[in-house]
This record gives sequence, C-alpha cells and structure tokens, in this order.
Amino acid sequence: MAMSRDDIFQQVQEVLVDALGVDDDEVTTEATLMGDLGAESIDFLDIVFRLEKAFGIKIPREELFPIENMMNNPEFVDNGKLTEKGLAELKSKMPHTDLGTFEQDPDINKLPNLFTVNSIVNYVETKLNAA
Amino acid sequence: MRWIWIDKFVEFKSGERAVALKNVTLAEEHLHDHFPGFPVMPECLCIEAMAQTAGILVGEAKNFQEKVILAKIQKCVFLDYVKPGDTLKLTAKIESITSEAASTSGKITCEDKLIAEIDLMFSHIDQNLAGKDFPQENFVFTDTFKSLLSGITFQD
Amino acid sequence: MRFILIDKVISLESGKEIKAVKNVCLAEEYLADHFPVFPVLPGVLLLQGMIESASWLVREVENFAHSMLLLEQARNVKYKSFLAPGGQIEYTVQAKTIEENISSFIGFGESEGQRIVEARFGLRHFNLADKNSAMAGTDAEIIKNMKQRWKLLR
Repeated sequence: MAMSRDDIFQQVQEVLVDALGVDDDEVTTEATLMGDLGAESIDFLDIVFRLEKAFGIKIPREELFPIENMMNNPEFVDNGKLTEKGLAELKSKMPHTDLGTFEQDPDINKLPNLFTVNSIVNYVETKLNAA
Repeated sequence: MRWIWIDKFVEFKSGERAVALKNVTLAEEHLHDHFPGFPVMPECLCIEAMAQTAGILVGEAKNFQEKVILAKIQKCVFLDYVKPGDTLKLTAKIESITSEAASTSGKITCEDKLIAEIDLMFSHIDQNLAGKDFPQENFVFTDTFKSLLSGITFQD
Repeated sequence: MRFILIDKVISLESGKEIKAVKNVCLAEEYLADHFPVFPVLPGVLLLQGMIESASWLVREVENFAHSMLLLEQARNVKYKSFLAPGGQIEYTVQAKTIEENISSFIGFGESEGQRIVEARFGLRHFNLADKNSAMAGTDAEIIKNMKQRWKLLR
C-alpha cells in the first residue's frame, strides 16, 4: 500500500476534522493536538480508532500517545521535568517526533505540545512502510 | 420514570452486533411535555436508547466486568420523528473495542423508515479516569439491564 | 416527572447567546437508575439542557413562529465530568447560524468551574401545518404552551 506523504496527510486531516470537530484549515502540520485542536483523553482514543480504520493498521495507544503512563513514574519525572531516564524513554517511544527543542528544557508541562499533526503523519508513514 | 430506554433484544451477536426494540406509548409522562398537543419522542432519549443497546453490547463483550459509560457522541443525525404507537428498532454494531474504550455505530428505524444514525464512544471508567474513585460494584449493569438478555438466543 | 431540563434562563442576547441553569436533585426519579450508589445526571439530559437553551434562543428571536423545534444533528458531544445531586450546571449556548427552518450552535455546561459537557449541534424548526393545514390548531396550542413556559423560565 504505497501512499504518498500527501495522501497520508489528507487522511489524517480528515480523521482529525471528524474526531475533533475542527475545520480543515485548522489542521496544519504544525498544529498541536491538545493546544491548537483541543484534543483530550477521549479524543485520543477516538483518533486511534479512526486511524486504525482509515489505514488498516493496528495502533497500540501506548505507541502513539505514550505520555500518560510516563507522567506518574518517579523514575521518569522529577520536580516537573523529565529525568535522563525519562528523556531516553521518551525518545525510544516517540521516534517519530522531533525532540530537539524539548530536550533543552524538558518541562513536563510542555509535553502536550509535542503532539503535532506532523508527528501523527510520521507515525502512520512509519507503520505503513513497516507493514 | 425508570431510566431504561429499550424493551427487548431481538438479536444479539456477542462482540459484534445487537438489535433491540423500544415501544413508544402515551403512558410515558415525558411525552406530554414534548410537546403539549403533539407528543414525539425526544431525540436525546433516542440517543439514550441507542446508548443502552450499544452499551450492553460493549459490556457483554467483556462479561460485564467493566463499568461502561457514554463518553462521547461522535455524531448523530435525525431524519424523522417518532410518535406514540411507534416501535423503534435499534441496531448497534461494535466498530472498535479495547480495554479502555469502545466505539459503536448504530441506526434507528421505524417500520423500515430510517429515523436516525448514531455513532457513540464508551469509556471503561475503571481503566480510564485517572485518579477518580468509583464504587467497586458494577453499578452500570444492574439486574434490570442484564435481564434484558435472558431468554435471548445468542447467535454464533 | 416533567421533561424540562433547564430551570431558569439567566441571560439572553437575542439571536446570539443564552445562558441557563439547571439544579440537580435526588427527587429526579431517573437518578435512582443512573446509577444506583452513584447518581449522576445522564449525559443525554445534559445535551437536552443545551437543546432546550438553544430552542429558546430560536423561539425568542423568531417570535414563536414555529411550534416544533427538534434536534437535527449533534457532533463531538463530550462528557468530561459528572454532575451529582446538589449540584447546579450553567449552560452557555452560542448560535452560529439561525435561519428560518434550521439553526446551528456550539454549547457547553459548567459546574463549580469545571467543564461538564460540550457539544456542537443543530436544530430544525417547522410547523405541522407546513405539511398538513388541518394541524394549524395544534401548532397554535403548542406555541401557546411554549409562551407560558417561557414566562416561567425567564
């Protein structure tokens, strides 16, 4: 199933418009899911279900949105920031996201900003290529 | 007023699909307020009837171990209204299901006329709502709901 | 039990925005079933509170021209928290468009600073006489009733 990155983006855009009730033009590549598009817990689940159907792939929620489990682990989070271990864990769980800027100030309050439309497109692309 | 919006199941395929019926009758008090002079079943209660049909389908899929509650109405569209004397046929199908949540699609018909299409998401609240404490027992699936399934032949 | 899911309209900007409140109390019979040991206002009744609020916005601005106002569609209705007896919810519903027979809204409900529900939805408005002129009397009766109810709420 050779989909171009553009095709993937179109489908992802449609999924987000349906799941979040936002307009097409709000779903830009740089838009953050939680900040710009207003996604929350139940929406993440909705997005995962719809992506699975749209692309015919299986998405363990942990893989796409790994953060929730990490937040409560004292090995990964110390005093509002990610520890070395936390950063390493994040990198291994989110190879599809650019963590360069975040690394400089790994404030956990900034974690939600990592989830952009682009990171979803990256994730789907990786999954489809691996299939 | 009891909060039970379906009367019986006529089909039940565990983990997949269920069909239930609901009779609409002038004996239901709320109809007389909606609207006085021309009673029709409120759309929000049609949604609840679908939520109960789909919710029991989702709950049964996990042996009623989870507290399944309505978390999101993804989309619902109403094409017509329903009156006393009508019988609603509610067909629900599980689209996705995991340990934390489920999504369902559904249609409501009345004598083969399409009344509504309703897509819902349910949350398994013990798995999902971080930090909130719920009573241990499964207060969602009471005997009243489970009894709707007794006497029904489970299809393979 | 009466099927009225708001108690009072607290502000109205004609054709634009309405705010209404609803008290939740244990006398509401359905709470005994929803749920035993954990009574909370059912999600669809939270939606109904917003549908009623939106309906009043339409009825007021169109001067009670139509008898029947029904939900046509709703999407992204999210239930974020529970509302228990003793609590009060304040609904805010803003009109996106209000046309002759159709309208669309965005609404939310909050209680003690917490968001309980939010939704996007649309109504359709019509008279029974549109399809059957013999029903004009019924339309008039419904409208008369709604005008009386409006006096109670406003």
